[in-house]
Amino acid sequence: MFHYLLKRIGLSVVIVLCALLALFLLLHLIPGDPATIALGPRATPEAIARYAAKMHLDEPILLQFQIYLFNALSGDLGVDVFSERSVTRIVLEALPSTLILAAVGLLWAALIGVPLGCISAVRPNSWFDRLTGVISVATIAIPSFLVSIWSLLVFAVILKWLPVIGAGEPGDLADQAYHLVLPAFAVGLSWVGYLARMVRASMLEVMNETYIRAAHAFGLEPRTVVFRYALKVAILPTITLIGIGFGGLLSSALFAEIIFTRPGVGKLIYDMVMNRNFPVVQGAVLITTGVYVLINLGADLVVAWLDPRVRDSL
Amino acid sequence: MTPLVQIRNLDVIFDTDRGPVRALRDVSFDVPRGKIVGVVGESGSGKSTVIWSIARLLSANGRIVGGKILFDGRNLCDLGEAALRDFRGRQASIVFQDPMTSQIPVKSYRQQIIDILYRNREQSRSQKIGHALAMMRRVGIPDSEQRIDQFPHQFSGGMRQRMGIAMALLMKPQLLMADEPTTALDVTMEAQIIHLLRSLQAEMHTTIILVSHNLGLVAELCDEVVVMYAGEVVERGPIGAVYARPAHPYTQALINSDPARVTERRRYLPTIPGDLPDVRFKQAGCIFAGRCPKAFDRCRHEEPAAHVLEEGHDARCHLLDPRQVASSSVTAASRQEGWVPVDPGSNVAATEPLVRVRDLRVSFPGRGGLASLLPGAQPAKIDVLVDVNLDLRAGETLGLVGESGSGKTTLGRCILGLIPASSGSITLRGRELTRLSEREFRPLRENMAMMFQDPVGSLSPRQSVRSLIVEPLDVHRPKGFDRDAVALKLADMVNLPRELLSRYPHQLSGGQARRVGVARALALEPDLIIADEPTAGLDVSIQGEVLNLMRDLQIAHNLTYLIISHNLPVVRHISGRLAIMYLGRIVEQGDCEAIFRRPAHPYTEALINGIPQPDPEHRRTLASIEGEVPSVAFRPRGCEFHARCRYAQARCREEPPEETVLSDGRTIRCHFPLTG
Ligand code: SF4
Ligand code: SF4
Repeated sequence: MFHYLLKRIGLSVVIVLCALLALFLLLHLIPGDPATIALGPRATPEAIARYAAKMHLDEPILLQFQIYLFNALSGDLGVDVFSERSVTRIVLEALPSTLILAAVGLLWAALIGVPLGCISAVRPNSWFDRLTGVISVATIAIPSFLVSIWSLLVFAVILKWLPVIGAGEPGDLADQAYHLVLPAFAVGLSWVGYLARMVRASMLEVMNETYIRAAHAFGLEPRTVVFRYALKVAILPTITLIGIGFGGLLSSALFAEIIFTRPGVGKLIYDMVMNRNFPVVQGAVLITTGVYVLINLGADLVVAWLDPRVRDSL
Repeated sequence: MTPLVQIRNLDVIFDTDRGPVRALRDVSFDVPRGKIVGVVGESGSGKSTVIWSIARLLSANGRIVGGKILFDGRNLCDLGEAALRDFRGRQASIVFQDPMTSQIPVKSYRQQIIDILYRNREQSRSQKIGHALAMMRRVGIPDSEQRIDQFPHQFSGGMRQRMGIAMALLMKPQLLMADEPTTALDVTMEAQIIHLLRSLQAEMHTTIILVSHNLGLVAELCDEVVVMYAGEVVERGPIGAVYARPAHPYTQALINSDPARVTERRRYLPTIPGDLPDVRFKQAGCIFAGRCPKAFDRCRHEEPAAHVLEEGHDARCHLLDPRQVASSSVTAASRQEGWVPVDPGSNVAATEPLVRVRDLRVSFPGRGGLASLLPGAQPAKIDVLVDVNLDLRAGETLGLVGESGSGKTTLGRCILGLIPASSGSITLRGRELTRLSEREFRPLRENMAMMFQDPVGSLSPRQSVRSLIVEPLDVHRPKGFDRDAVALKLADMVNLPRELLSRYPHQLSGGQARRVGVARALALEPDLIIADEPTAGLDVSIQGEVLNLMRDLQIAHNLTYLIISHNLPVVRHISGRLAIMYLGRIVEQGDCEAIFRRPAHPYTEALINGIPQPDPEHRRTLASIEGEVPSVAFRPRGCEFHARCRYAQARCREEPPEETVLSDGRTIRCHFPLTG
């Protein structure tokens, strides 16, 4: 276990370092003054001078990278060009809202997709299975930004059932939840299809295993066999896939924020790109990468924890 | 008292892509209360389908189309889902063939047990666990309080099967059905499990149906036997009567071809030539007519009825019909009673060994890194082979025997240069092999071929038989070489019909696939063939075919064989000399017949006594060997066999025995040899 943990965490660290290196190289390989590039066209000359001094732009490039790395790892991602607030603070303030959106999107998708997949697998080729198949393919095929735009049009603009924009009154949970409905729907919709398909495929495989037959032979209730036996094994590859697919989920959340003008990392990046506020953009990209790596790691650890075979072989 | 189970005219059909397969036809037999009934047959006989029909758990494409299954007078075919669920587990339970695949890997035994006992609502959780612990102790699981929290993969194969039995018995069912319960286990484990089943049966008066292909096992355990062939019952009766006076030609052939019965080395093993009939179509006469050595006209158009021979013993064969004129052309001059012309490898003692292995040691790195610093961790280096000395003389057959984990396969692969030796030497015709680079080794591999356990399953399914057979030539022969001629020659050598050359592996029967494996091994005209479990997974009737063929080829081409197997009767049949391995060491080595006559090492003795004999009159009373094979990562001190040895003394626990040579030339590692 210990060994495995170390390896997985090591790998995650390497990925984050690569992201840092890529960003650093980008700044320094583009012809021109790195300070101007890093801070963007809207930076004041004083800010550029301060940046050059802070990053030791006159030192050899290796030392520069070391400084850059050290700053990034200690949480200093620079300051906003306009307000001079810490980029880390700005991004971390926006992050929870994005994570909540992604999580709620995934959650409702799982609550619907996983049972759909299970029931399809228990009755393969039934009308239910076929219908689920069609729905799944349809939801997977529609890009999430289209879902966002259309659901915005239909439910908010035309039917006026749900609010068009914003995240709701701060402190008013009901209002916030109300505002979360449409974006979460848009973010999660394609995951209903994904999860139903994935769970169905791995359930079909597991339902053929001898231990499922054995569970029936012991006279267990069919519900126990499907949900407490088969699903318990079939969900493992699905969790790994969720970890891998989380990047996609994040990007749908970012788009949804832009379309629904909800505060969050997506909205932040969009606004800052519009304002040419580059340090914030870079910081947001880095932190999003970090979050993605963390979620992946988490998914692997959950699988390892759920599967005693994996737990022991580590 | 009525029998517990009465099966009457059972018909089962499986729908397949190639049409409906009539898997069981007109199957009828009784299972008396408190008795053990064995159902024997080869693959395709439908023996397991019987169990699944009783449990009403046929796979989705199978259905019962006729007949009845009466359990305690109740027809199971009429039960609805709820009633069936109540029946399963509570009244009838199953022990599965492979406990690894039949126990859910992600649940601890505690959880699985609680699940099984869900119907005992009057029991509290701790009562249920107490009940389970008692059952675990009864089936011989030590430290059950701790082990109940473990998962299936943390148990050894034998312990897992004990757990399988314990779970099946938890609800105290009246009927226990065991589907090849020891096939996945080693010989010594098999003996222990048989012993356990027998004592549990005596104690709990459970009725048992045992399905097996192993005649010896059935003879050891059962009171009655049902012999099945291609979905029909051909003979049934009390075990003693059927084994002593088998009436049906199939039963006779089956018993005769059990290698445990044919102990003379120079006799060919009897076989049953031919293939199973295609049961998608209705057969005109006797189901066995296509392979029966005694078939005559009537057999081909009239189905035989069951003829009673004595109380409870009947068989379906026209020959048993009292009205059948005895003059029917029974020219059963069984051509299988042949003897091998010369005893291969009998005159080889004088020659210089082809392969000589000296002080060979093979180690694998253990789990390294930080984990190895943790307490209780495995050592950084695990010795898989230790101080192995072995001579292989040209033209002889050496049988390498051991349980799983004994290192026998590693030794074979090491000789082939597929696994590097850590120290010691291996020479081929005097040339040192251990320090050769892969490039230097490659030309030498022409002289040595490996015959794999599952020759076809391990190869590309998209290659034709022809290209599979000649594939070894691709590496070792120039481009222009006439491959087709070689393919034809090889096919003839192994008696593979030439028209099969253009087929694909999945179109072959088990015996044909093995012959492809043999042909592949012969492609480069090697001197040495290393065969890893050459007959594992084959039916008895085909097993003989492969062994006889290997022996003929040996005589014709002066081949040297190293046969790696856990199956002692098979090894005995084909080997001139024997080497027995335990935990990576050769513990006894010498003339095969001498060893079987009087084993010198206690482990060899236990292995030989562990062979179930197809003779119900000579049942063993004891499990021949206790305990389990220790892990090579944690070798015991002193003699590594001492914990399981009946003859162990204080010295054995301290001092590891050296290899010594006995007066008859055998080498042995034991302080107190049994022949001393
Ligand atoms: S009926 Fe004929 S073919 Fe069938 S087993 Fe008897 S002798 Fe052989
Ligand atoms: S040395 Fe002792 S423990 Fe080992 S096999 Fe011989 S008698 Fe048994």
